[in-house]
Amino acid sequence: MAAFVLPAVLVVAALLVGPMLLLARISLNRYSATDLMVEALSPQNYLAAVADPYYRGVMGTTLAVALLCTGLTLALGFPAAYRLARMESRWKSLVTVMTLIPLLVGNVVRAAGWMGLIGNDGLINAGLQATGLVSGPVRLIYTPGAVVVGTMAVVLPYMILTLASVIESIPRSLEEAAANLGAPALTVFRRVVWPLALPGTVAGCVLVFILCMNTYATAVLLGGPQFKMMAPAVYDQFSKGMNWPFGAALAFILLGATLALTVLGTALLGRRYAR
Amino acid sequence: MTLSRRTIVAGGAALALSGRGLPARAEGASVVVGTWGGDYGALLQQNIDQPLLKPQGIEVSQDVANNDPRRTKLIAERASRRGSMDVACINDIDSYILGQLGVLEPVQESAVPRLSEVLPIFRKPGTIPHIYSAMVVLYNPAKVTTPPTRYADLFDSKYKGRVGYSDILYSYNLAGANLAAGGPMGDFAKGKTALLDLKQRDVKVYPSNEALAAALKSEEVWLTTMWLARGFMWKSAGIPVEAAIPEEGAIPILFEAGIPKNSRAKDAAFKYLSAMLDPAAQVAFAAKMGYLPTVRDARLPPDLARQISLTEAQAARLNPLDYAYMQAQQGANLDFWNKEFKA
Amino acid sequence: MGTLVLEGLSKRYGAATAVDRVDLAVAEGELVALLGPSGCGKTTTLRAVAGFVEPSAGRVLIGGRDVTRLPAHARDTGMVFQSYALFPHMSVAGNVGFGLEMRRVGRAERDARIREALRLVRLDHLADRLPRQLSGGQQQRVALARALVVGPAVFLLDEPLSNLDAKLRQEVGLEIRALQKRLGLTTLMVTHDQDEALAMADRLVVMEHGRVLQVGSAEDLYERPASPFVAGFVGRCNLLPGRVEAPGLFRTEGGGALPCGPAPAGPGILALRPERIALAAGPDGPGVPARLSALTYLGALTEYHLDLGTGALVAVAPTPPPEDPRRRLRPGDPVRAEWTPASARVLPPEAPTGESR
Repeated sequence: MAAFVLPAVLVVAALLVGPMLLLARISLNRYSATDLMVEALSPQNYLAAVADPYYRGVMGTTLAVALLCTGLTLALGFPAAYRLARMESRWKSLVTVMTLIPLLVGNVVRAAGWMGLIGNDGLINAGLQATGLVSGPVRLIYTPGAVVVGTMAVVLPYMILTLASVIESIPRSLEEAAANLGAPALTVFRRVVWPLALPGTVAGCVLVFILCMNTYATAVLLGGPQFKMMAPAVYDQFSKGMNWPFGAALAFILLGATLALTVLGTALLGRRYAR
Repeated sequence: MTLSRRTIVAGGAALALSGRGLPARAEGASVVVGTWGGDYGALLQQNIDQPLLKPQGIEVSQDVANNDPRRTKLIAERASRRGSMDVACINDIDSYILGQLGVLEPVQESAVPRLSEVLPIFRKPGTIPHIYSAMVVLYNPAKVTTPPTRYADLFDSKYKGRVGYSDILYSYNLAGANLAAGGPMGDFAKGKTALLDLKQRDVKVYPSNEALAAALKSEEVWLTTMWLARGFMWKSAGIPVEAAIPEEGAIPILFEAGIPKNSRAKDAAFKYLSAMLDPAAQVAFAAKMGYLPTVRDARLPPDLARQISLTEAQAARLNPLDYAYMQAQQGANLDFWNKEFKA
Repeated sequence: MGTLVLEGLSKRYGAATAVDRVDLAVAEGELVALLGPSGCGKTTTLRAVAGFVEPSAGRVLIGGRDVTRLPAHARDTGMVFQSYALFPHMSVAGNVGFGLEMRRVGRAERDARIREALRLVRLDHLADRLPRQLSGGQQQRVALARALVVGPAVFLLDEPLSNLDAKLRQEVGLEIRALQKRLGLTTLMVTHDQDEALAMADRLVVMEHGRVLQVGSAEDLYERPASPFVAGFVGRCNLLPGRVEAPGLFRTEGGGALPCGPAPAGPGILALRPERIALAAGPDGPGVPARLSALTYLGALTEYHLDLGTGALVAVAPTPPPEDPRRRLRPGDPVRAEWTPASARVLPPEAPTGESR
């Protein structure tokens, strides 16, 4: 068995763990405008990032967008996933494929599509102005709302497919049994479907939350220059500011925050419904 | 140099992960050109790769990316035995930084004979100058009735909410604002103060040049600082803009090309650099993109020359960037732009 | 407890008709079993009573009240599911108490009734277990207790024994029957197993293609089947197509003349139970002469396959004692088959529709 797993382990080690360790090492170096960086073992980059109100703000924005997107995606995704899971078989595969189709389009292309839709001379504004409802373009693009909506469009299929597979594993007869015992639809959901779907819901939320925390293309293209999330900030430090150590530190702060919230959320929800 | 070779190689490996894969490289005479896509990449293919390199038996493939990722990639790869590019197209600030970091191979007339025709002010040790332009004030003539004459005219309070900048040109925008505020090229303090004032007057920042162009077209904004060449292209495309060469002395922008030291096809790469200095090819770039030739023997049609050239007086007043200052302030300028001006 | 009445109940899925104008009345305290092959509409009928299936036409009345348009949770039926459908995240007590919670029964009373219901199914010692920690039979009893504890007007059983192994099946079946009788539960049960239905039900409803073929007691259906389908589905039966030629004389398609009960002249199907055929060894004597084509020794019983020359019959009889000449019968031996004319019923050649007795 070990022999079969080995290639995968090697690939992960070479392509993920190795670079991560190196990035961690770089994050402890000191920035130099002339030499790129100077070898050091200093927590200074982390301290500077945490102390800087700007990056605290960027992290706050990132967390707010990720949490909001995760919550809204769950709220929108659950009913859709439920319908999909309880669908008759001949429609189900079709709808599953239709749910997957958005994933075939890259994030950048999709964000570009959104730009065409919600830009100042995009479809929506053109339509609004044609009807005479508004005189000038309505500001849709380059707003936090655009980022939230654009990000949700990216992550919704992940949420729906994760939830649908979990809901599918809950026998329909359990819901019927609850109804038979006098539970109205909402009570059936609250007492039977929700608690049984919870492990999958947590998994779906974790998946979506991680994707949202690392939003890049959508944040840049729909959020505009004034809107900053962590992933673009990391990119800026590497690519524009040429401050690799600070960029690496920001990357690990993003990673740490994502990991911490994921573990915390899983533990809290897990305990609440553990019996 | 205080950084160990090991760390740099490692950094390169990490960075390579986030970027695109290496383009396939055919055996024999072939070069990989790291360049912008769009018009620039297409013009390279039409005027250099096909007519000038192919007859010499040199196959050209392009590694398309924006300026910043390409610079980062060159730095990340600098200690690798073998780089992913043989020719790197870069702007003048990066040319200086990469030269300082020892990334680029020296370019000499013996290897690039066409260097003899290059305008002397553009000669650099590690690159050839390909094309150039100057940063000017673009304005909407229907809305801005008094044509501006200076960078400083953007700060006029009657244009509140009507000034827009392209985010990716932050260094140059900052330099222009600094000149407008009377600051020297080696200290942007005055320019930063001026930008913060402009921020109070509802300045707009667009994520790309294209987004800025769209805003100019829809007349959402009326004024910006931009390359004269871009102004020419936009005007040709029907965007309502006129260009004003600032009296403070325009900031030149130079697009250059160099050869990474770890290129494995340097002979072919030098031939490529020489071809980039071909007068006919440079004229083609001028006709399509509005950038000026850097060689003496390129002859522009008079009508084109009138639209994209500077007068001798304007050319004499050009304010080149202080590259050492730009390198030293690379991080600080970005921080100012992101954390104070845009935030 | 109340009565259950179905009036012209139909369910169509597109062009397919799952349930076709079913009329049925279940009296208070009566156990009626819906019996039929899979796809006959029995489960759809049960689910329409529970409210999981919306009928295309017809009415469902529980205790005289029309519940056809009421949602499942407002119908006051207690259902035991084929898969038991116990809530895996709730304890046994939690499962049993769920229906009481829905009826807003206070904590103290609820606990008492849970205990009582679990005692009824002899599981009071397992109240804190999770369903997955119970055996199949125990889960079945929890499902029973859960359905019973709310005191439903109608008790619904969906293949209640099908997930149990053969040994438990009879025991649990009798236990359910005893409980049902003791509590006087008006019960509708679905099964495809005729033995289960015969053993447990007061009355049986045989269904095919969504229609009710016959309703009656076990004896009614067995002794007086109204159609060849019922005759063949309830117990084993020889079915020989042919026609009644004269009173008491049935001519098979093969041309054989067989004695039959009273029936009008004309085409029909002769239905004759294998155990009603008396067999004698040897070619001479009364009865229909035949040749033994095969025989199977089954212990208490022996099964004889008879070749009449004009058709075939199966006879089943208690295995005769060793000294009996029939014990020496071998395939190919001549025999004689005899039956009382009344045992050989002539049924109409096509299955009748609707209720009949």
